[in-house]
Amino acid sequence: MSDLDDFKATYFDECSELLTELEEQFAAIEAGERDADRLNAVFRAIHSIKGGAGAFGFSALVGFAHAYETLLDYVRDGRIEMSDDVVALCIRANDIVADHVKAAQTGEALPADYGMDEKERFDALARGDAAAGDDEDGDPLDEFDIEFTPVMVNLDAPEAPAAMAAGEAPVDDAFDSAPMQIEPGHWEVRFTPHRALYARANDPLLLFRELAALGEMHVRAVLEEIPPLSDFEPFAVYCSWEITMISPSLTEAMIREVFEFVEGDCDIAVAQLGSATAGFDIPPAPEPVVAVPKPAINEEPDPADLLALADDEVATLLDFSADANVAPEPQFAPEPEPAPVSVQDSFEEPPALSFAELAETIQPSPVAKPPTPVAAAAAPVRVAPPAAPSEGEESGGNRSVGVQSIRVDLDKVDRVVNMVGELVITQSMLTQQMDETLRARYTELVRGLEVLAQTTRGLQDSVMAIRAQPVKSVFSRMPRLVRELATKTGKKIKLETIGENTEIDKTVIEQLSDPLTHMIRNSADHGIESPETRTGRGKSETGTIRLSAEQAGGNILIIVEDDGGGINRERVLQVARDKGVVAPDVNPTDEQIDQLIFAPGFSTASEVSDISGRGVGMDVVLSNIKKIGGSVHVRSWTGKGTRMTLRLPLTLAVLDVMLVKVGESPYVVPLSSIVETIQCSRASFERVPSGGQVLQVRGEYVQVIDLAQRFEMVTETDPENRFVVLCEAEGSAKVALIVDDIIGQQQVVIKSLEENFERVDGIAGGTILGDGNVALIVDVQGLKTTIVHKNAA
Amino acid sequence: MTTLRVLTVDDSRTILAMLHHTLSNAGFEVLQAEDGKQGLDVLKTETVDVVITDINMPVMDGIEFIKNVRATGNHQSLPILILTTETSQDKRDQGKAAGGTGWIVKPFDPEKLISVIHRVVH
Repeated sequence: MSDLDDFKATYFDECSELLTELEEQFAAIEAGERDADRLNAVFRAIHSIKGGAGAFGFSALVGFAHAYETLLDYVRDGRIEMSDDVVALCIRANDIVADHVKAAQTGEALPADYGMDEKERFDALARGDAAAGDDEDGDPLDEFDIEFTPVMVNLDAPEAPAAMAAGEAPVDDAFDSAPMQIEPGHWEVRFTPHRALYARANDPLLLFRELAALGEMHVRAVLEEIPPLSDFEPFAVYCSWEITMISPSLTEAMIREVFEFVEGDCDIAVAQLGSATAGFDIPPAPEPVVAVPKPAINEEPDPADLLALADDEVATLLDFSADANVAPEPQFAPEPEPAPVSVQDSFEEPPALSFAELAETIQPSPVAKPPTPVAAAAAPVRVAPPAAPSEGEESGGNRSVGVQSIRVDLDKVDRVVNMVGELVITQSMLTQQMDETLRARYTELVRGLEVLAQTTRGLQDSVMAIRAQPVKSVFSRMPRLVRELATKTGKKIKLETIGENTEIDKTVIEQLSDPLTHMIRNSADHGIESPETRTGRGKSETGTIRLSAEQAGGNILIIVEDDGGGINRERVLQVARDKGVVAPDVNPTDEQIDQLIFAPGFSTASEVSDISGRGVGMDVVLSNIKKIGGSVHVRSWTGKGTRMTLRLPLTLAVLDVMLVKVGESPYVVPLSSIVETIQCSRASFERVPSGGQVLQVRGEYVQVIDLAQRFEMVTETDPENRFVVLCEAEGSAKVALIVDDIIGQQQVVIKSLEENFERVDGIAGGTILGDGNVALIVDVQGLKTTIVHKNAA
Repeated sequence: MTTLRVLTVDDSRTILAMLHHTLSNAGFEVLQAEDGKQGLDVLKTETVDVVITDINMPVMDGIEFIKNVRATGNHQSLPILILTTETSQDKRDQGKAAGGTGWIVKPFDPEKLISVIHRVVH
């Protein structure tokens, strides 16, 4: 049953998307956008969830979803008003649907009465309305148990007994329970198709084929009505059939079922031969009727022929002509009426007259004018079966399958990403091997390598683009969070989102939800003030949280900004000192204090309400973000607000770096953070009272970090020969890293240090160089912020 | 006999996947589209023997889709099966009025699905 498991996986994937969509829609609906499009989208989502659930037999989910869907249907057609109460009920219902989906996924059982209250409320709403609007179906919600029978699909055994939807008795069953006419016998069927039957691509031949499967069959095509060519109306229907069926167990129901799809598009009379109802004046004997209507085609119209028809036939004919007059079909070349005659293909009895023969008959006829449009239009039908698409088109238009997107298992994409990563390494290794002499000797090889580098780069970008998704999927969960937070805290909060179509790696997106939730909670709980305080401070009563995403170079910035009171630095510093995060003799700058809220071990849990992370500090945010190669920076303005910036890598896998040497070991610094490099001999360092060093760059003082010192490496390089790598950290703050040598610039594949070893302060990850050596990736932002804790330790 | 090509149109990936499985096991070649508009796009370049379409879909629903297919020159005789959970007659009738050839009730039984297709395709 692994196929079924696959489908279930697809289904649950789909459910989670649909549930996200529901959130999105209801966020808008709650904000007052109650247009039909939104309601339809909501209806569709629930409908799809229900549909899949039915296929897998999740009956509790089907039951609830059906009741909910019915309510939505009523809302959609205006029978129930979308009041705030109904909206609230729907939002609750979404949660219940989500819980049902989850229960179905994990296999755990929900209490039998789960969601019953809500279901009863749907019921009551629907009933209330039905009573008010004297609707025909008094209690529509009671129907669902009967109407929607879940069917387990047995995919491994397609020959499993057919489970039918109500009302569609399978043929085999009908044999067992054949009612009424048990009398083994002959049935007469008169079948007169209307034009509509053909217009809907039904084909008499197929009906006959199906009938033939029921027993012995004899067919007579009634071609007498076919007019002479001069009067031939290409889209009119002239042919009808008289069919005799012989089978001992045949019932009328079985015959009628064959005509199920064409009901209303044809006249159909079924009568048992010998019974009182048998009223055809055609010969009852099932003789194959061979040559029928040659005269009708190529002779002058004879009014007598028409008059000679039975009354009902005239009526039918009138029907046809009426039909034909209704809407003249647009002229289309290849396939007009699939008309009667392909009957010949399917039956052993010699057919009345094949169209091919008819065509031959027509050609030499004195009356017919061969090149008439009618003949031209009708001719091809006789050759090609109507339902088969025209051959010319097949060969001409046989391009790639016109589907615009495909779904690929993420594992497969990741495999490609990994291989591209390895390719990047190999390519950079090859490039490294090329020294000057080789370059001079093998110009073709050099050119080849350049092309390889370019192609590799392109390949990498393309693969990364496959993994990219808009951040919308995460952002869309936030409006609801903010609403809930506002309700809980009694504050008035408005959420603005910007740039939700910004694309970012799928894995990054998945890791983004928790940190973002935390940050928004933090903003709502600690940032935004109560309405009274805000009014007192001369701000508008409603606080704003702005959530934005933008691409900045090789990074994605996700910014959570609020216009609240800003970080209470005194308090933060106090707590930090109490917890030993900051040593008593250290006096961090305002900016450093702000960053403390992310410091490990710093948590104002004692005071933090149940809203902001339930005692889990913001350090979780930091560690989550670091895990995906990002960084966090916070900036606060007292009384005006706080801005938290997440800087995330555009891709997880590959990074442009500068390769440097610290001591004897290679390190890499992300190129995106480097501003410039300076020889130490040309740099102007200055000592500061605390014992550290600063670098003066164009009038600006920059903190200096000696990487050898910081990473406790031994260096024997002459200080004059060392280099300064000037980097820009968050918030445009610069930091000067001292390294022993600069080797070059290249791309590396990031390997997580945490997964393979453990988290190391100041290191963002590791990578394998072209020569097989391991290099560590310097975490510029981390170095700058951890310096405070370092001093404290 | 050449392989029959089926275009399946449904906004539910689950249903598309199940149709694909059932149909390809039965020897059909399966094309997919996620809404009516995509379905029309497929039909612009591809030749198929039968279409199976959902009714409730975003962008362009099944009814519109069928109408559009029928309004296109060479698709008058293309069999279109309506795939629907709507047991209520009205959706089915709307689908038929738009030009639907027949219908399949979800959740579908694989054997029944195949037999219904053979009912409308040569």
